[in-house]
Amino acid sequence: MSVIARRARPTEETLDEAPGARRALGKGIRPGRRQENVTAYAMIAPMVILLGIFVMWPLVYAFYLSGFEISFYQDPKFVGLQFYEYVLTDERFWRALRVGVGYAAMVVPTGMLIGLLIASFIKTLSIRMAAFMKTTIYVPAVVSTVVASVLFVFMYQDQGVANWLLSLLRAGPVNWLNSPSVALPAIAVPGIWLGLGFTTLVMLAGLLDIPESYYESAELDGAGFVKRTWYITLPLLKNVLLYLFVTGLVGAIQMLDLPLIMTNGGPVDATTTPNLFIFNTFRDGTEYSTSFSLTAALLLFMVLGTISALVFRLVNSEKAMDA
Amino acid sequence: MTHAIRTRSVKWVLLVLISVSVLFPLAWMAIAGFKGKTEVLSSPFQFFPEVWQVQNYVDILKDPEFSRALLITFVGALIFTAGSLAVNSMAAYAFARLEFAGKRLWWVYCILPMFVPSMAILLTSFVVVTRLGMLNTLAVLIIPGVASAVQMFFLRQFYLGMPMAVEEAARLDGCSRWQIFLKIFLPQSLAVFVVVGIGSYMGYWNAYVWPILTVTSPELTQIMQFLGTFRSNRGNEWGLLMAGSTLAALPTIALLLFFQRYIVAGVRISGIK
Repeated sequence: MSVIARRARPTEETLDEAPGARRALGKGIRPGRRQENVTAYAMIAPMVILLGIFVMWPLVYAFYLSGFEISFYQDPKFVGLQFYEYVLTDERFWRALRVGVGYAAMVVPTGMLIGLLIASFIKTLSIRMAAFMKTTIYVPAVVSTVVASVLFVFMYQDQGVANWLLSLLRAGPVNWLNSPSVALPAIAVPGIWLGLGFTTLVMLAGLLDIPESYYESAELDGAGFVKRTWYITLPLLKNVLLYLFVTGLVGAIQMLDLPLIMTNGGPVDATTTPNLFIFNTFRDGTEYSTSFSLTAALLLFMVLGTISALVFRLVNSEKAMDA
Repeated sequence: MTHAIRTRSVKWVLLVLISVSVLFPLAWMAIAGFKGKTEVLSSPFQFFPEVWQVQNYVDILKDPEFSRALLITFVGALIFTAGSLAVNSMAAYAFARLEFAGKRLWWVYCILPMFVPSMAILLTSFVVVTRLGMLNTLAVLIIPGVASAVQMFFLRQFYLGMPMAVEEAARLDGCSRWQIFLKIFLPQSLAVFVVVGIGSYMGYWNAYVWPILTVTSPELTQIMQFLGTFRSNRGNEWGLLMAGSTLAALPTIALLLFFQRYIVAGVRISGIK
């Protein structure tokens, strides 16, 4: 593949020089369409080729493999949509999906609510305080999921700081990561923490777009913070909220690193998100596990891909209408 | 007057409260790094160390595996960032300014990966790089992620907003498209390159799943791979692990503090699209 890339360059350069010179001689000669083509192709070639090898080929290959039985002992055998049927009738797949949705249901609305409150607060601050707050709130966002996972596992230890905080309230201790009902919320906390910065800053940008005069007249009418939020902020923030909600949902359902490091899906699969289920099935190396995990990944992709493409269109078209 | 003072002090209290709770986990991580072996998890609970000692930080830095992981990840991240900026900005310029046959088709092709969840291609990407004989090389960590639809899209939006006039003048003077791109567009891209470049850098620095799939040789172990597998390899050495995590989190936090204005503006643009 790199041969093609290498060959594309000299060709384009030689062609590029010649018509450029020709144009210098006589303007009015129609700008060579071919020249633009060659330059443009040379410019997009690296990207097109890399995406071809590392995105398109794997994607097509995944669809292809999902139709075959693969094992070490025999040639791939075409089985049509059989694997799709296996996955869709597998109780573990649905369970993983429920865990993923449950995780997203805890992370996304909570994160958005906290984000909205902090963004509303930042809006009232002086420039310098606001700058400080914006940076502070974004710090967790640049911390890696791995560091967050390791750190929260540490905080969730029996003698860790989480139980100490509870003991101040005369509650606990809680066995955070080993009890099936607590483990998922316990993983959701670092999830919210990591996403808070982005949510808050996007909310803040949305808030700053709302004309101040709306709030002033509402204040004259005696509307408090809650009323102003409910009748002015939320309706005018609809697009931003929708964008954050759907991208947040799509992202949260796909969470892999946190449960992988913190619990590896346990206890009793209570934190096995769809991607972790797929990842572990792929790695366990039993017969047909490759095709099975691929098919599950594709099914997930079709649903999530459709959702994000729809939202992208929606948000983009609304924006175009605004302009 | 008293009312204004009261509002101000309430704001200060809230500001401190929010900052402390957001930053608490990171502070806790750093503090744990300063604790002795018996203090890290002790009962009765101990908030601050009896004696602040840098032993854990010194030990983890002296650990050849850790320092090698830091170094190799840093080098990889730099190459990755430079490569991404080159590949994606070139394509972004072509899509923003040039007319060529099949432009719409190639645009869809290049933007499609934005809608492909990583898990859908993770497994077959692994098969592909295995077939290409790339396992356990620095290349497998760097090359597959270099072309990025999101980054290209972001850069194209920026190039679309650049004024036409300068470019047209340069065209009349006989500048080729390459000259225009290299001499006019690139020098003006510095701010936007900082934003997307930091994104690339962090993406590489913080990667975990791809390294643990494709790299097993200790020479290439990535920093997050080292931290994520620390407990299964070395047991519950919490003081060391927290010191290592703190050191590994510092570079990205430093980048944020240094370029905060660019990043905050970047989030704004990317969020609204």
